[in-house]
Amino acid sequence: MSARGTQAQALAATAFRLREFGILVALLATGLFFTLRATNFLTGDNLQDIGTNVAIVIVVAVGQTMVILTRNIDLSVGSIVGLTAVITAQTLAHHHGLSLWVAALLAVAVGTACGLANGLLVAVARVPAIIATLATLSIYRGLVFQRAHGVTINQSDLPNGFLDLATRKVLGTPFLLFVAVVVVVLGSAFLHWTSSGRDFYAIGSNPAAARFAGIAVTRRVILALTLSGALAGLGGFMWAARFGTLNAVSASGFEFDVITAAVIGGVNVFGGSGTVLGAVIGALLVGTIANGFTLLRISEFWKITFQGFAIVVAVTIDALVTQRLQEALRRRRRREVAEARAEARESPA
Amino acid sequence: MKALALARATFGRWEALLVLLIVAAGAWSTTLSPYFLDTGNLLDLLTPYIAVGLLALGLTFVVIAGEIDISVASTLAVSAVVLARVWDAGANVWVASAAGLAVGTGLGLFNGVLVGLLNLPSLAVTLGTLAAFRGLAFVILGGEPVTGLPEGWSQLGAGYTGPGELVPIALLILLGFALLLGVLLHATRFGRYLYAIGSNREAARFSGLPVSRMRVALFALSGSMAGIAAVVLIGYYGSARADVGNEFLLDVVTAVVLGGVNIFGGSGSIAGVVLAMILIATLRNGMGLANISADTQGIVIGALLLGAIVAGNLSQFARTRWGGRARATGGRGEVPRSEEVAVSSKT
Repeated sequence: MSARGTQAQALAATAFRLREFGILVALLATGLFFTLRATNFLTGDNLQDIGTNVAIVIVVAVGQTMVILTRNIDLSVGSIVGLTAVITAQTLAHHHGLSLWVAALLAVAVGTACGLANGLLVAVARVPAIIATLATLSIYRGLVFQRAHGVTINQSDLPNGFLDLATRKVLGTPFLLFVAVVVVVLGSAFLHWTSSGRDFYAIGSNPAAARFAGIAVTRRVILALTLSGALAGLGGFMWAARFGTLNAVSASGFEFDVITAAVIGGVNVFGGSGTVLGAVIGALLVGTIANGFTLLRISEFWKITFQGFAIVVAVTIDALVTQRLQEALRRRRRREVAEARAEARESPA
Repeated sequence: MKALALARATFGRWEALLVLLIVAAGAWSTTLSPYFLDTGNLLDLLTPYIAVGLLALGLTFVVIAGEIDISVASTLAVSAVVLARVWDAGANVWVASAAGLAVGTGLGLFNGVLVGLLNLPSLAVTLGTLAAFRGLAFVILGGEPVTGLPEGWSQLGAGYTGPGELVPIALLILLGFALLLGVLLHATRFGRYLYAIGSNREAARFSGLPVSRMRVALFALSGSMAGIAAVVLIGYYGSARADVGNEFLLDVVTAVVLGGVNIFGGSGSIAGVVLAMILIATLRNGMGLANISADTQGIVIGALLLGAIVAGNLSQFARTRWGGRARATGGRGEVPRSEEVAVSSKT
């Protein structure tokens, strides 16, 4: 029995490793294409630019990955990033001497609260995640408008030490990318080695079975959405440092960058499969294409069109792979049962 | 006992609650402006939300069947810009309208094929097409608006008729479609099949219903309604822009859910959705009178959407917990656990 289970797992693991490999090939191909078409693509400055932009997508996508793993979705991350970015910038604009750690903690705390509200709505009040986070997308955005009051915060309002975060380098990498790497390592470790992390996969694979197996499904779903909110809060802090210019519409639509990154990175919208590393490759692909489009002066609108169709294509591929896989497993099981029966007939006890 | 049953029959009805809320919102608006109860103002209440209403009517069918289509507002935008482009290129405005309608239906069909034939989750598909279609609208029209559409045609969205020119033509269009789709949903085999599919898709399939074909048709219907909404909306604004209707999605989904359509599929009525539209329009109108900004209004509508689902879940919970036997039909339906919601969109 267990051997068969392991075999099935191995088959599934291979399929999804191929999926991540495929997206890596797509990333390299895209990079090669832009290198050939845009002379200024493969330059140190441009690559750092991509890295800094992608860093924010990566941080928020790690949280989104956890949510999608549990077969839910978080559409409100763009609004949470906007809210926390505006709050961070306003706080620092009024208190220049404030420690950046305190500002970051504040952003994460606000994000955590937003995420917790999402989690309670989905797991306790039983509102489907897509509807709950569609509503909170509007609610949190409304809060951004109330905070911003139609005023734009400019770079000149912000302390230099804060803006330096976006240009500073640690070990040759942009500081924000360094933050993203730390989040990725911690996120991966959490998903691989903690029982809560493993529970996310179990819940997404089969919610009913997870419940019967004694997994605290309600608490885990709350945890996933809370983590997504917290990381969106961190993303908002980074967003404020990166762009410096903030207003009521900051980061609106950002949820699409994040969801596209996770979904084309192989995080299966059916739940239960996908890795943080896949989402990172997805984010790099999204960021590279956005950057290349800018260099080639292709309209911003093509970017969102491309992202939308990329989601559809990724979902189609995942669904077809999943269907094939289930078919193969079913066939194998049938064959094994037949063999076992034949064996039993040959050697009557 | 009889009184209890009567109370449950009256107040248990979602529609009765909506009427009560509309009256309350209306009373609040009257305190804000003495002109609120003016016949002309009352008839005009829905005018800015006709397109939202038409989209909500289409979405109602999709949600009753247990699916979701969050791409409706983006589909509307593509229909609108195609209409404008075709007219701008010199075609007759009615031909252009037909083109816009055809494109809306086509985009709905695209969603429908992916969901109904390839069995993809409608949530993920329409999330993708929400972005893709919105981008397409910009790609087709760019940042510049198209203006100067023929006045006679614009009357569809902006004109008035009847005694004293008080009745908005667009309101008649909305009510006409509500009636037509109400009959389709509540008095035809198509409608009955829809509820069956929404209640239990596998059971519907085993009963021999054409489940795949119907699911494709649903999304095509939703796309067609987006095309019709585009015509009315351009008429209303007098111009077409690529970002038209971008802010509609929340109101559309809220109208459907607040109208008592079970978000998990299987129950709901056109009458409820129409009442919910009136409630949203009254509330937005009142908030406008009270100088509450559009963004704060978004907070209120979002809260309303959440409240509607939570209230439905609570009443279901109370009914199964304390109400003895649960009503098999007519209620807000069985409430699945949150994690099972996504399962329902999977075969």
